[in-house]
Amino acid sequence: MRAFLETFAALVLGILIGAAIMALWGRDPWTSYAALFQGAWGNTRALMSTVSRSLPLVLTGLTFAVGVRAGLFNIGAQGQMLLGAVVALSTGLLSLPMGLHLLVALVLAGLAGIIWALPVALLKLFRGVSEVISTIMLNWVAHWLTLFLVVRKLSDPMRGERTFQVPTTMRFPVIQGELTWSLVASLGLALFFYWFLWHHAKGFEIRAAGLNPKAAKASGIPVSRAILLALLLGGLSAAWAGAIQVLGRFPYAITSDLANLGNLGFDGIAVALIGRNHPLGVLAGAFFFGTLATGAARMGLRGIPIDMIQIVQGVIVVSMAVPEAFRLIRLRRKREEK
Amino acid sequence: MLAPIFRLRPMENLVEARKITKIYADGTVALRDVDFQVRPGEVMGLLGENGAGKTTLTKIISGLLSPTSGTIFWKGKAVRFSSPREALQAGIGMVHQHFALVGPFTGLENIALGAEGGGLLSPVKLKTIRTKVEEIMSRTGLHAPLDAPVEELPVGVQQRIEILKILFREVELLILDEPTAVLTPQEVDELFAVLRNIAAQGKSVIFITHKLREVLAVTDRITVLRRGEVVGVRETPRTSVEELAQLMVGQELGVLRQKEPRERGPEVLRVEELVVPGPAGEPAVRGISFTVHAGEIFGIAGIQGNGQTELVEALVGLRPWNGRVELNGRSLAGLGPAQIAALGLAHIPEDRHGMGLILDMNVTENSILGRISAFQGFLGRLRWASAQRFAQDLIARFSIQARGVRAPARSLSGGNQQKLVVGRELSKSPRILIANQPTRGLDIAATRFIRELLLRLRDEGMAILLVSADLDEIFELADRVAVMYRGTFTGVLPAEELDREKVGLLMGGLSLEEARG
Repeated sequence: MRAFLETFAALVLGILIGAAIMALWGRDPWTSYAALFQGAWGNTRALMSTVSRSLPLVLTGLTFAVGVRAGLFNIGAQGQMLLGAVVALSTGLLSLPMGLHLLVALVLAGLAGIIWALPVALLKLFRGVSEVISTIMLNWVAHWLTLFLVVRKLSDPMRGERTFQVPTTMRFPVIQGELTWSLVASLGLALFFYWFLWHHAKGFEIRAAGLNPKAAKASGIPVSRAILLALLLGGLSAAWAGAIQVLGRFPYAITSDLANLGNLGFDGIAVALIGRNHPLGVLAGAFFFGTLATGAARMGLRGIPIDMIQIVQGVIVVSMAVPEAFRLIRLRRKREEK
Repeated sequence: MLAPIFRLRPMENLVEARKITKIYADGTVALRDVDFQVRPGEVMGLLGENGAGKTTLTKIISGLLSPTSGTIFWKGKAVRFSSPREALQAGIGMVHQHFALVGPFTGLENIALGAEGGGLLSPVKLKTIRTKVEEIMSRTGLHAPLDAPVEELPVGVQQRIEILKILFREVELLILDEPTAVLTPQEVDELFAVLRNIAAQGKSVIFITHKLREVLAVTDRITVLRRGEVVGVRETPRTSVEELAQLMVGQELGVLRQKEPRERGPEVLRVEELVVPGPAGEPAVRGISFTVHAGEIFGIAGIQGNGQTELVEALVGLRPWNGRVELNGRSLAGLGPAQIAALGLAHIPEDRHGMGLILDMNVTENSILGRISAFQGFLGRLRWASAQRFAQDLIARFSIQARGVRAPARSLSGGNQQKLVVGRELSKSPRILIANQPTRGLDIAATRFIRELLLRLRDEGMAILLVSADLDEIFELADRVAVMYRGTFTGVLPAEELDREKVGLLMGGLSLEEARG
């Protein structure tokens, strides 16, 4: 409850600062915000678009959140997301029946994410390498690897700006407008993560290891295994984010500048912080993020420069992430003192 | 005879605290309307349980904290120190539980640190400082080596340097916060002699402690605090252990369960030539051997930091070791904490916040730590309902005061946290219990609860390994006592042969022959 109020207060504060910035540069904050929320929630079509945009963010948010629960600072979602996207796309080279094709794509993408997370876990557990360092490095490897594959191997010969499109046998069916049944993958994984962390023995071990590794170890919990599990689950989730972005959203391909994958992985960190690193909070955080993204387009139509929109978005996101970020820093410092 | 009409009224109080209230930012009321006086030339004991407010009060007097309301009078004048430095300049110095010494510096350099005259153009004259320190040493009887790096000195000697550092500033009021926690009984006696000397020279001392025996041995008067309030001020010669204990706790305590001699049972734990590496590569435990039998409490006494932590962590599987350890005839080599626990070993860690509990988890979650498998259902699902019933049962059986099974462990008092740990560990129905400092920092009632529980378990035939730096606890509970010093046992004695002096000498590193001689 307190967490909820804090986040709400931060949201209000962020909106006020954003308003002040817009007012300062001669824009009317009231109409701008009206445009934002109308653009995001104003009609069914807009709402569908908003939800659709939030779905991959749920998954990358989960990656960071489950890491934090295990006491990790896992910022590897970006690389795992890229790899998941490219592997899901490549599955389109196979020809399989409807439905099964999609399933195989998801399994292979998930495996790719898990494999990409494995060196992070092994380096940490056997050589004591901080996951922060190894994930940053692997993110770059994944970035260039993906770019290479997208441009050199998977591009559409007729359309230089993107890869080939995934075959229809592999696409998520449309629910309405932009929204597809990738909804089930995101929502399902978020609910699963919640159930796993709070109602499963292994999830309990992850949380115990994250809150107090020393006590967890003394009580016989295999802390290393818990950390490994949290990293691999994170890899799976992030890879699915990339996969559903390719399999569940127009253009059903990867653009040659990777723009339609964007910063999904890094944005997941902010999503998780807004959602207090709770799987259900992550759902809310992602929806909020999706709102800002969709609403921005409408703000643009009202003549607000894109830079200012991004500043306002940034201010709101940062102020909402601050309370949880501070809590994490305090927790980490406390653990180091011990 | 004519009484002098104008007699100079002697200064009544050197320091006086009037109506001091301290409320911390989180709303904790640490002190409530506390009145406290120290006269010149007296040793004032400040007695109270953990959390009674002793340290808070002295931190206010020494300028480290400022009171929420109330006034401090120093030599009759109202003062408000904004830093310990100001208080020190006025003549008030405090030695904290955690020393403020620079490890690689020598004793003399540490004393000179921050001393006056240390400007760029007027370098500190170590020679004059040495003369003055030596003069203080001969005057007070407080001797310490001045030319060795302090990090190489035993804790007891470091404490002396810390006290010399304060005396060097010519304080008139010396405050010592639980100074005896790190000392052998002999060192305690020496410290007390020093404190008497300091008082005899007209200076005042505030001696903070929760140990009744010590406060009676060294003070002139005693102020007793309970839950942030002064519950009594007594002249030391006119009070007793019983009265002080009652003031401290606020209720009368029954007689402690007496330890009855008991035939010990079969051997449960056998340790042979155990070597445990320490943090710096040097072994922390250097080849010790002992056995623990069913129905006995084997006590390990010794000053903290002589390898006890490493010994226990090795036995419970948290640290690699060499040698032989057998539990019921099964070797523990290569086993982890979970496997060792499964063989029937339960562990009450010395650090209940760091190792015993996960403070951010609730009572239920903490109560199933180490026995998660008992609450697993289909596909590893946790059966929270039955876990909560189990937690409820622990709360009832060990009379744990908690708001409920969903209350965070952090919200429990120290005593109740420890009861939760103990209850959880005993619920594993172990063959042997390793209790490391099981009552450290607990209030009297909780201490008593735990100690009686240990005695009852022993009578019921459990093997217990008790590691404690608290000699009273060792004397009260143990059937056999080993004294640990720098990673070895300086002696193993049956309870009948125990006396304070002998154990004290062993704690200081003397061998059993020397101690007997």
